[in-house]
Amino acid sequence: MSLTGYVGRRLLHLVPVTLGVTILCFFLIHLVPGDPARTILGNQATDQRVALLRHEWGLDRPLPVQYGKFMERMAHGDLGTSLFYNVSAGHLVVERLPVTLWLIMFGTLLSITIAVPLALVAATRRDGVPDHAVRAVPLIGLGFPPFWLGIVLLLVFGLHLGRLFPVGGYGVGFFGHLHSMFLPALTVALAISPILIRSLRASLLEVFEADYITTARSKGLPERRVLGRHALRNAVISTVSVLGVNIGYLVGGTLVIEAVFALPGLGQLMINSINQRDFPVVQGVTLAFAVMVVVVYLLTDVAHALLDPRVRFE
Amino acid sequence: MTVRSRLLSLAILIAVSSLCATAALGSRTATPKRGGSVTIARIEDSQSFDKTNVFQNESIWLAEQIMEPLYTVTPDGKNVKPWLATSFKASNGGKTYTFKLRPGVKFSNGKTMTSADVKFSIDDARKQSKGWGYLDAAIKNITAPNPSTVVFNLKFTWAPFLADIALFANGIIPNNFNGETRANFYKHPVGTGPFMWDKRTVGQSVTFKRNPFYWQKGKPYLDSVTWRFVTDENTRELQLRGNQIQIDEFPPFNSIEKLQNTPGVTMTLFPSTRTDYLDMNQKYPPLADRHVRRAISSAIDRQAIIKSVLFGHGKPANSFLPPQVPFYNPNSGGLQYNIAKAKNEMAQSKYPKGFKLTLLVGAGAQVEAAMGQILQNSLKQLGIDVTFKQEDTSTEFQDVQKQNYQLAFSYWTMDIADPDELVSFAIDIKGGGAHSFYTEYNNPTVVNLSHQAQRETNVAKRAQLYNKLQQIAAGDAFLGFLYYSPFRYAYSSKLHGFFVYPLGNYHLEDVWVG
Repeated sequence: MSLTGYVGRRLLHLVPVTLGVTILCFFLIHLVPGDPARTILGNQATDQRVALLRHEWGLDRPLPVQYGKFMERMAHGDLGTSLFYNVSAGHLVVERLPVTLWLIMFGTLLSITIAVPLALVAATRRDGVPDHAVRAVPLIGLGFPPFWLGIVLLLVFGLHLGRLFPVGGYGVGFFGHLHSMFLPALTVALAISPILIRSLRASLLEVFEADYITTARSKGLPERRVLGRHALRNAVISTVSVLGVNIGYLVGGTLVIEAVFALPGLGQLMINSINQRDFPVVQGVTLAFAVMVVVVYLLTDVAHALLDPRVRFE
Repeated sequence: MTVRSRLLSLAILIAVSSLCATAALGSRTATPKRGGSVTIARIEDSQSFDKTNVFQNESIWLAEQIMEPLYTVTPDGKNVKPWLATSFKASNGGKTYTFKLRPGVKFSNGKTMTSADVKFSIDDARKQSKGWGYLDAAIKNITAPNPSTVVFNLKFTWAPFLADIALFANGIIPNNFNGETRANFYKHPVGTGPFMWDKRTVGQSVTFKRNPFYWQKGKPYLDSVTWRFVTDENTRELQLRGNQIQIDEFPPFNSIEKLQNTPGVTMTLFPSTRTDYLDMNQKYPPLADRHVRRAISSAIDRQAIIKSVLFGHGKPANSFLPPQVPFYNPNSGGLQYNIAKAKNEMAQSKYPKGFKLTLLVGAGAQVEAAMGQILQNSLKQLGIDVTFKQEDTSTEFQDVQKQNYQLAFSYWTMDIADPDELVSFAIDIKGGGAHSFYTEYNNPTVVNLSHQAQRETNVAKRAQLYNKLQQIAAGDAFLGFLYYSPFRYAYSSKLHGFFVYPLGNYHLEDVWVG
């Protein structure tokens, strides 16, 4: 099967996944106790005022009828109206999506930038001091919770050391985003890169034992070429899968980092909407997360196949 | 000492004193500077700017910068003073109020405010059945005999009328929503306030800019104000220290001392009307017993709670009304911590051997968990076995309002400079719309006193009614009065004129950057 056909077929999987996610999400959020009308009306939520607001939102109708309406709107690309903000839920999700995508992509890029050279250093100096250091030091990043790490990075690079980076926020324009998103992305990278380093180091050590590496070296190829062209390309295949799984987890786990760095992303929107029982927005964000996870796994598979010609698109 | 040296010393003393006095006077009367912008970071985003239907403080305090009422609350929170109106005259036995409008007041679109705008604004506010319309229920009709006069005819004498008129929901907007639909108008409202709408990114920030037509000449001093939504309290603090924001709204109590000692930061605790309570649902038979409720109220170690959750920055509550509300009675006899008295009350109750109780606690709500622990330990001495029921905040809120609880924590902040709003809500089981703060407390004497106070325009007589009401309610211990706590703001020391009123609102037209 061609790459296009494979991608097309995998994208078609999105339809049943989306349907499943909407059913699960819709009924779960409606079954959880808590009433958006009471949350919004606050202390002044008399029964009469709550009933009026619930009627206005259609929340007094049976759940299957509400789900039918929701799906009808979904078919027209409409996620409904936010109960809290009274604006399009779809608009809110689309507005927040770039922030979360920035965080994930920048974080991934930084973790690769950190992991690849360090794994190479560790693998080429097996059991030496650099190897032990590379295997031990990054574990600090894995051991500390992201919210703590984020605060420390903000303190050090945002307040002290000449205020190199802003204390939170998303910034304006491409370079503004790049500047503002560096510390959040670094927090992500410090959490992921230890896993990548260990995975890549192990793969490299395995690849170093392969016959084609011995052949390449015996042909007199420079070590840099042996490492870059033969060893790394083969070793990276399993690491791509590890990276893919971690990005998949990260999609749902951005909310802590978004909170610490005051990033207006999907994670923040999700938490606030759950607290406010803003059903249409919760459904919209869940859907966006589901689509992102499917796309990440698809890209992982495609990258896997492109790196390893033995893998076929089936 | 010679006469000469004495004279010299005296001269030096006078000179130094004069210098000090001049310096002190200088700092107090420093000339405000025009220009600059301020960013306020807060834990919640604004929901809506429809002042007539929104109940969220983070929306209300912003809407007040754009839309102003005829009268406004005084800085002590206990009275009202002329604002868009200059005076009023009551007639017809307190059933007719005639207001004179302030001349030369313009909306931010440049149009002059007239009585037609006032009539339209308040007629619209009182129509909002799921909003604040209930506070205007006494109004029979409004007429506008000439452009600078507005007449309110009431259905009956209504003592809180002026306080109700000063409510943000009764802020003045242009007639007929400035030619827009209601929904569109409140997406970018127009008013007479010091600031006008600039831009908003939903879920992130709201920015207002200076209203060039503002009626207080020379004000506001700031070019613009931005409110930013920053959920994490540590990040807000770091942003303040990094001068990315200038005001940190509600830093946690445990950071107050640190912020008070942070260079470049002013940490101020403004007296507030916030009062925290222990709700006791009388639908649960043991809590319908007056002695049991008095025993529980006497067993609340308020000082321990204040020390533990407010880090000492609060006061034990001794009435269900806070000190910043008119007619608050400090001698109403609100029960205080006294275990011997609590045991005595338990002995007189129908449950001398104790019983089991469930306390509703918000999941992850550390303050409620800490208060619950203290309460649990105290009530154990009375034979009351308290177990916690943890629920997420939204569910907890719903269960309290549906009276699906036994014990729960709640609080109140005032919206008007009159006790009636809270009194009706807390003790008027039928008229207040909330089953007496969701407790089912029903004392006809107290309800009757509340109704009398609503119609009594003589201040001294009204004070007597509220004094008596507070004494009976405190004796009934219908709520456990916990503590009064302040509004907490940390802000840049370069800011001047920032002051938070007991109702939580602030007048940003007075703020300037030094």
